[in-house]
Amino acid sequence: MALLEVSNLKQHFTTKKGFLGEKTIVKAVDGVSITIEEGKTLGVVGESGCGKSSLGRSILRLVEPTEGSIKFEGEEIVGMSAKRLKELRKEMQIVFQDPYASLNPRRTVRQILEAPLIIHGVGDKRERKELIENLSGKIGLRKEQLSNYPHEFSGGQRQRIGIARALALNPKLIIADEPVSALDVSVQSQVLNLMLELQQEMNLSYMFISHDLSVVQHISDKVAVMYLGKVVEIADVGKVYDTPMHPYTQALLSALPVPDPTRIRSRIILQGDLPSPSNPPSGCTFHTRCPMATKECAEIVPPLEEKAPGHFAACIHV
Amino acid sequence: MLLDVKNMSLSLKRAGKYSPILEDLSFQVKQGETLGIVGESGCGKSMTALSLMQLLPDKARLTGEVDLQGELISVYSKRRLEKIRGNQMSMIFQDPLTSLNPLQTIGTQIEESLILHTKKSKEERRSRVLQLLKAVGLPRAEELIDEYPHQLSGGMRQRVMIAIAMACEPQLLICDEPTTALDVTIQAQILELMNEIKQQTNMGIIMITHDMGVVAEVCDRVLVMYAGKIVEEAPVIELFQNPKHPYTQGLLASIPKLGERKKKLGSILGTVPTPGSMPVGCRFADRCPHVMDVCRNVTPAMIRIKEDHQTACWLYDEKEGTANGSAGSKQLETAFHH
Repeated sequence: MALLEVSNLKQHFTTKKGFLGEKTIVKAVDGVSITIEEGKTLGVVGESGCGKSSLGRSILRLVEPTEGSIKFEGEEIVGMSAKRLKELRKEMQIVFQDPYASLNPRRTVRQILEAPLIIHGVGDKRERKELIENLSGKIGLRKEQLSNYPHEFSGGQRQRIGIARALALNPKLIIADEPVSALDVSVQSQVLNLMLELQQEMNLSYMFISHDLSVVQHISDKVAVMYLGKVVEIADVGKVYDTPMHPYTQALLSALPVPDPTRIRSRIILQGDLPSPSNPPSGCTFHTRCPMATKECAEIVPPLEEKAPGHFAACIHV
Repeated sequence: MLLDVKNMSLSLKRAGKYSPILEDLSFQVKQGETLGIVGESGCGKSMTALSLMQLLPDKARLTGEVDLQGELISVYSKRRLEKIRGNQMSMIFQDPLTSLNPLQTIGTQIEESLILHTKKSKEERRSRVLQLLKAVGLPRAEELIDEYPHQLSGGMRQRVMIAIAMACEPQLLICDEPTTALDVTIQAQILELMNEIKQQTNMGIIMITHDMGVVAEVCDRVLVMYAGKIVEEAPVIELFQNPKHPYTQGLLASIPKLGERKKKLGSILGTVPTPGSMPVGCRFADRCPHVMDVCRNVTPAMIRIKEDHQTACWLYDEKEGTANGSAGSKQLETAFHH
């Protein structure tokens, strides 16, 4: 059984245009089905507005999903009582993008790391102290640094504190929403290394959300590519990167600047901009920018189908 | 030579005292060449751009010589500089939304530099603006000219920024992270556009970026900056294949590469020193895996390893271009992978 099983998840938001304007529905996540296996990483990649962050938040029920089912170890999360949800949240934690905004500037690192333990009533004071010191060792923080405040740390260190906080309750699943996007590349690599080490050591599962294709490729076992609220391709990392099927994935990969000046580039340049998620195109939402689009694409919503063993894509031309 | 910068240094006043931001930068840009300036946050790459344009706060202390096409612009008065900025040299900033005026139409903003620098009539200016909008690949130029920045997407706004910068056909274009705020498919469009413009105009471009992928795709030659100094300069292929400075090596080793999955990445331990508390000697010494005694005492000078490859590191010798001290160059190249 998969650790996390999400089926047909929808996350719709209602927005108003202007003060008394018409209500419009933004389909941030529109029928997404994914699974995450124990000890594995699912990478979720896509451009801004594709719904990748909403998907993460929706899974943790930080926002209430509109429709669909989220099963964690077989147990349905949608509609679960607040009490049971709190217990379950011990098992699933989140790491945010901005390590400057996600740590309380008025709390010491010790207080920040202790908060989840207190909330969930873990141990007594002495046990908690031990747990925190053990935790800080894991992320390479010295004991003395625990009484420092977030502003005294660099961005990379802060992100490691964010990771330690997520690990405090010994979760099984961590949803990491752009955890390294705010960091410089040499610091980013430290955080990625740490995440890979911790995964091995603690048998963690990750859902790794990012716009950065090379980072996702590096850390993931399986990759889901999203476009305007839908998964357009999902498969093992090797399949998605070596033999991408969906025209969007192909364009995305060919657009990625590769740090090798001798490489001969054959780029697929997509025309136009990302359509607004509040007013997505008909049929296949990608048809307005797709180099392969035909008349049918504007009419038929392509289902996500298994086109090759273990390789799913949503395109009628594949 | 299009641009010749000699010993440029910059100090900014902070909390009552001047602290050095840039130190002793010397470099050149040829016509038709793209020079990359690469480094991590706080290394001074953006301040280098602003110093060239002399768009600095009042209490900045800028020294050294900047020569643009034979004119020593570093000694020019504000007034004379205004005739050069937007005319002979232009700049594109990272964030197109905050660099455009929300209260003016696209047309007005592109027209501004034409009014300042040319004697074109109103009709001539309008047709030039339309021509520019089409040249940067914007659709329905006739309508767009009267629209406001908020009506445009991020990629379109950056195209407008490029149109503004190109309005007077500058000889030198300085781009400060022009695609960092954009999605990858939009970034590809903008980089493609910049390559086209470069081929058509033969201008010199300075491309400031933190993204080694962008460097590899668009630059001919690269400067690597660390803590306000240039630590390495080389042609782009040479830099990627034969990086010499331990910082450059560390930077390249820390990038996740396509095809290498779940492999331990190289990283650079420690943090960048802050402007107020720069160490004596080499500024990278505290984070360098090859640090020697001399590094902590004496600042290494830029030395020429090859005809067009320079680095500021005590590991190398001017004449042979081979490694000094105990660390052989083989060892050096592999050190970051272990």
